[in-house]
Amino acid sequence: MHVIRLEVVGFRNITEEQLEPSPGLNFFYGENAQGKTSLLEALYVLGRARSFRTPRLLELIQHGQPQALVRGIVERRGARAELAIQLSPRTRALFVNGKRRTLSDYLGHLAVFVCSLERMDIIRGEPEHRRHFLDEGILSLDPKYAHTLEQYQRILKQKNRLLKLAAESGDPRRFIEEIEVWNEQLIRYGALIHRARIRYVELLQRHLPADLFGSERIAIRYVSSLAAHGDVSEYETLLAERLRVRLTAELTIGHALVGPHRDELAITFDGRELRHYGSLGQQRSALIVLDLAQVSVYNSAFEEEAVFLLDDVDAELDRRRIARVLEYLHGRAQCFLTTSKPEIAEMSRPQAMLFRVEAGRVVPTPPPAREDEMNRLPEQATSPREISS
Amino acid sequence: MLDYAEAIHRLIEELRRLPGIGQKSAQRIAFHILRMNAEDVRRLARAIEEVKEKIILCSICQNVTDVDPCRFCSSDARDRSMICVVEEPYNVAAIERTREYRGLYHVLHGALSPIRGIGPDDLKIRSLLERLRSGEVREIILAMNPNTEGEATANYLARLLKPLGVRVTRIATGLPVGSDLEFADEVTMYRALVNRREM
Repeated sequence: MHVIRLEVVGFRNITEEQLEPSPGLNFFYGENAQGKTSLLEALYVLGRARSFRTPRLLELIQHGQPQALVRGIVERRGARAELAIQLSPRTRALFVNGKRRTLSDYLGHLAVFVCSLERMDIIRGEPEHRRHFLDEGILSLDPKYAHTLEQYQRILKQKNRLLKLAAESGDPRRFIEEIEVWNEQLIRYGALIHRARIRYVELLQRHLPADLFGSERIAIRYVSSLAAHGDVSEYETLLAERLRVRLTAELTIGHALVGPHRDELAITFDGRELRHYGSLGQQRSALIVLDLAQVSVYNSAFEEEAVFLLDDVDAELDRRRIARVLEYLHGRAQCFLTTSKPEIAEMSRPQAMLFRVEAGRVVPTPPPAREDEMNRLPEQATSPREISS
Repeated sequence: MLDYAEAIHRLIEELRRLPGIGQKSAQRIAFHILRMNAEDVRRLARAIEEVKEKIILCSICQNVTDVDPCRFCSSDARDRSMICVVEEPYNVAAIERTREYRGLYHVLHGALSPIRGIGPDDLKIRSLLERLRSGEVREIILAMNPNTEGEATANYLARLLKPLGVRVTRIATGLPVGSDLEFADEVTMYRALVNRREM
């Protein structure tokens, strides 16, 4: 699977641009704040119908424009599909080959994964970011999981409102019958989410890339919030029991205390929790290792390539590591990388396609760098030191 | 200063209060009404007024009607041992179109939704329980929508009704006719399997 054409209109600082990327390696290079990451974001939005930088659609729409449009042609096993997503401040409309689709019918046409320092919350932030990381991975294998998640969120929202009402009323026990009715559904959908995540974490662990940035020292484990209270393999029974036991507490506090929305993905480095004890370097390595594992899980599930976005590659990795990552991704994904250093992009020529990004414009075919230019760059970098010595 | 003469402005404001109508639609409809001939406008206004004057809720089944009891509740041709419970009056029309069901109805006028501030007391549940007193009703069919609010309402009613010794059933959920297995979500597929039938 790869993107053969991308069209971005009214998106962030990009007024209207089109590009035809290479099925292999693509670089967006240019100064900071010119729109490189916005292009990655547009690709992500095209595949996932959401951004990896913000939950608010409004931020994606160019200032002064009523809406944004991202359109792309995806080639998959010889067949082409046109995907389009139209973003308005409050809604998004999804299209496949010009026909309007629901979220779960839209997802699955373009499997895109991203590694960006803007997602360090997956490693360092609250558990919800890690749950979200897992859910994204599951969605890449089973788009219909979107429906399960939506239903669970909706049930949880209804139950929380009810618990709030109960907590604020003089007689919370009056609400018990009604709450139990929502718990019945919470159990049904909660169990689906629990099982999907357990399965996915097992897959992910098995696909952690071998021998890459200390990957053998990284381990992941799904920690159900119910695990301390009984046998999670009988999940429905255990969840029902915990809901019974915690009902009084829920009524007092006024929100839902039991369910997979309280679960955690434990990430350890040498057996120690990375979130609290890892160095910044270890945390960055873990992020990219996990992102690559998602790609690998996808590869083996569908026996096809995915699309991988790597933001600000030189901030993330040194040259040796960039080479290792690109080697790993070869044959696994069509890659889009951003960098502020043209020499990083030049390094991968002639396999790579280079796009210069300047003030929201994309210049597709820059003149090939001359050999003497490439040699001069490191010299320039070292010259100040020579002067000082 | 108003953009339009006051009468037009007022009409736009009234139309905007209707569900699904924003500023643009309200404006379009208002100007359409302005261009209609006087007789058509009077007929529209009368239709709006009459619906409010003449339509009441049936004192038995709570369906909308212009006679009380409604045509279903007073009919000799309907099976009085069955009540099909629905969320909205237009759900009755959907079930009637099948010409399969010959029993009576009960309209709740909504479904449980704490977010929208709808609890059991806001639904026509008490009047449903009263209908069971005569002992004539043997089966209650719960025909709420198969979404989370509908399911919650059905579960709530089932808990309430079962202890009263009446048979409580839920309309089947599963695969839509004319679709493809491949497109079913996990829960729909699961239910279709659980509720499978002998051939």
